[in-house]
Parts: sequence; C-alpha cells; structure tokens
Amino acid sequence: MRAGSFAAAVALAGLAFLLVPIVITIVMSFSSASSLQFPPPGFSLRWYESFFGNPRWVEALVTSALLALVSSVIALVLGSLAAYGVARGRFPGRGLLEANFIAPMILPAIVIAVALYLFLAKVGLLGSALGLVLAHVILSAPFVIMVVGVAIRGFDQRIEQIAFTLGASRRQMVLRVLLPNLLPSLASAYILAFVSSFDEVIVTLFVAGTYETVPKRMFNELVLEVNPTITAIATIMIGVSLLATLLIALISGRRGVMGSMMGK
Amino acid sequence: MSAVTQGMLPGHAARAAPRAGWGAGAYALPLLGLMIIAFDLPILLMLAQSVLSPQPTLEHWAELGQSPVYLRVLGNTFQMALITALVCGALGYPLAFWIRCLKPRAQLVALSLVLLPFWISVLVRTYAWIVVLGNAGLVNRSLLWLGLTEAPLPFLYNTLGVTIGTTNVLLPFLVLPLVASMMKMDERLFQAAATLGASRMAIFWRVFFPLTLPAFAAGTLLVFILTLGFYVTPAILGGGRVPMIANMLDVLINVMPRWEVAAAISTLLLGATILLFGLYRMVGGRRS
Repeated sequence: MRAGSFAAAVALAGLAFLLVPIVITIVMSFSSASSLQFPPPGFSLRWYESFFGNPRWVEALVTSALLALVSSVIALVLGSLAAYGVARGRFPGRGLLEANFIAPMILPAIVIAVALYLFLAKVGLLGSALGLVLAHVILSAPFVIMVVGVAIRGFDQRIEQIAFTLGASRRQMVLRVLLPNLLPSLASAYILAFVSSFDEVIVTLFVAGTYETVPKRMFNELVLEVNPTITAIATIMIGVSLLATLLIALISGRRGVMGSMMGK
Repeated sequence: MSAVTQGMLPGHAARAAPRAGWGAGAYALPLLGLMIIAFDLPILLMLAQSVLSPQPTLEHWAELGQSPVYLRVLGNTFQMALITALVCGALGYPLAFWIRCLKPRAQLVALSLVLLPFWISVLVRTYAWIVVLGNAGLVNRSLLWLGLTEAPLPFLYNTLGVTIGTTNVLLPFLVLPLVASMMKMDERLFQAAATLGASRMAIFWRVFFPLTLPAFAAGTLLVFILTLGFYVTPAILGGGRVPMIANMLDVLINVMPRWEVAAAISTLLLGATILLFGLYRMVGGRRS
C-alpha cells in the first residue's frame, strides 16, 4: 500500500509538531537577546554562563545528579534481582507481583505523589533525603524490571541449568553466569533508570521539601516567569537524553532503541 | 532435573541443585519489601484516609459530589482527555500509516524521530511551547511582523494551549504501537483486494482501516488515560485557567490543606485509571 498525498501532508505536519519545539529551544539557548526573539539577533553563551554562574542552579544540578545516581543504583540492584525472581520463580501470584512492580510506571504520577506525601508526612520523613530516594527508587525500578526481565526471558535457561549441574549454587549462577551475560541490558536499564529519576518532577515537587532538583526548580521558575536561562538547562537536558539514547542504541546493538524501549 | 543432578554428583547429594520455584522467587523479595513499604502501604493509607479520618465516614466523598468546584474540575479533566485523545487520533493515524508505507530505511529514521521526544523531559517540551506560541513567541512575532494581526493571538493559557501541550507529549504513545500493529499486517491481503478489483480507496477503507481499528481504539484510550493524570502541562500552558484533577490535588495538599478530600479525589483518579486500563487491555488484546 502507498500513502496518499493527504496522509503524507498530515504525517509531515505531525512529525514537525513533535520536533519543532525541541529544535527551537536548542537554537534559543544560544541567543544573545534577553527576550525570546526568534530567530535570535545573534549568538552567545550568556544563558549557559547565567546557569553555571548561579549557585542555586548548580546546587540543584548536584542534587539531581546525586539523587539520580543513588536511586538508580538501588533500583538496578533490587530491580534486576526481582526481575530474575519474577522470570524464573514458579509460585502463585507471580503475575500479580510483576504488576505490582510495574504499577508505579502506569499509575498517574500525581496519585503516587499524593499517596507518598500523606505517608511520608505520617512517618515524619516528608522532605527528608531518605523519603526522596525511596520515591525515586520505586519510580525507576519498573524500567529495570521491564528491560532486565525481557533479557532474562530471552536468555537460554539451559545454560543456567548447566551451571547448576556443575555444582553452582543459585547465588553463584546468578552472579557468575547470568549477570555477566546480561551486562548490555543491565547498562541500558541503568541509563533508563538514571534518566527517569533525573527528569522526575511531579513526585519530587510533593515530597522533596527544601531539596531542589533541576526539574523542580525549572517548574517553579516556569510557573512564575519565562526566563531564557531555562533554554540553556533545557538544552543540557536534551543533550543528556540524546547521549543516553545513543548509549543505549550502541549497547543494545542491532535490537536498537525501539527494542529496548518497548521491551521487544 | 534435580534427581539427575544428584545422581551424577553424589558428593552434592546433600545440597539439592537449585530448581525453578520458590528459590528463584526469593530474589524478588528485597524489592517486594521496599515496594510494600514505599508504594503499597502509602496507596492503602490514602484509601483509608479518604474514609477513616477522623472516624469512619463518607463525608469527604459526599463533599466531592456536592461541591460544584470539584465537579467542574473533574468534568474539565475528562473533557481535556477526550479532546487530546481525538486530536492525537486525527494526527497520529495518518502519521502511523505514512510511516508504515515508507521504505525500511526511511521507516527507521521516521520512527526514531517519533521516539526522540519520548526521551526529553515533559518539562522541557512544555516549556518549548512558550517559546513558540507565547505572546512574544515565534508565531506571534511572525504574525505581527507580517501585519496579519494587530495584537498577539492568545494561543496559550487556555484550553488550546493545554491541548497543544498534552497532544505533543502523548502523540508518540499512540503512533508507536499503531505502527507496530500496522506493520504486522499481511501485504498480500491488499494485493488480493486489488486483484478482485477494489480501488485504492476501497482497499484502505474496507480492508486496511477495519483491521487497524482495535489498535487504533486502544491507542486513543491510552492517550485518554494518560491525560487524566497530567499535572505539568496544565500548570504551565494553562496558566491556572485550565485546572485539571492533578492541579486541584496540588492545591488541596499544599495550599488548603484538605488532605482527606485530596485522598478521596486521588483514589477516584486511581480507580478510573485502573478501570480504563483494564478496558485498554481488553480492547488492544494481551499483546499490544
């Protein structure tokens, strides 16, 4: 079948609609004007200087990076183990267990934000680093479960059985046979978990208290005024995301980004 | 399996070789523990708070039904979700169809471009629309410069602005699964229709389109579900004039504060999402 010219026109408009905002933000971040003039009258790095020259932005960047680093490591370790348990375990309620692990990704973030806010307030952890890390771990873990789960199900189970036959305990088999073979998927899962934590805004807004992450500060600035400094941090975040996509594409090789994203 | 193992390795007879079963399942326990504490328990507490605070009562739920403010915001949210689903469908179907008809290499490029915004923070994508459509934005400046309008057109801080933002974020969620389902279709089906004398229009509307309907309906429903919980887009592109459930929850928690009512509304949103998601699984089939 061929697409007619009408379908092609709508399709190209749709594609442009998806991409134009991204392109414009990147171009504007190098503008020399203090208004949102497009095309920019000249180019400069003043918005990047204004970002890195502002200690509050830099502090937010450090908080975001630390938070993403810690929570994605925990999510990777616990999530990978759980993915193994769900993929290879034979016990009743396995489907329910997996649904429970994936749920934070499917439910509206605002519901999780409200539930965590009420809970953390009750136990006195609202605005604590521990509460923030816990929130980010449960939000990032589904990405690990999905990516690593697919990889484990695609791994030849007979290899695991051979390790057992040769006298390996389950722990030895998981650590010395399974995990080394899953390294590419683990790397993809880690990057996904890191980016999802770094970008998270809604739950963070509710439970972070006085901690300020980059998305939280961006959001609070955006509600008040349009400040071109945000185009600079937005471009940096686009850069990080693209780099992550590229890394995952390289790691997962032929399967490609589509495959690792959509769990195929 | 374990019997064979023990037979071959008598020295290990005391330690049975690990089998698939509870043993492997134990690896899920650490995350399960964390999930129970930091996710399941909070959700249950939220449900409880909406009916048990301070004593068993339905007054917080009754307040929802009686207050016109809550009902208006709920109606507004469902309306936004419907508009977004329709716009995404109208834009996404031709896009998916066009991608399906491309040559494999071009297809890969087009799919990557659709996937690209997936990777970029919703915040950044929402912000970009202020740059493009704001009063001092690209479009309004061009219109003023061309003399097509006297004053900047109000694209943002109304329903239109929020629709543009939500559609932009959710379009890939409709397009990607739709392309996947379209690519699974057997090309010979259309060749057969052509052999039987069907025109191109007839092949599309009477063979191709009906076959894509389940995936199309499922994708539109997914967009509807995801719009219900939107917070960032209405807050930034609606300028407070297009309040949705999530923004009302923010007010009830952080400004008012009316935690019990917030718990009730949040529970309502949770229930609606789960219900619609079940419907989505039914419509789209298990594999989509």
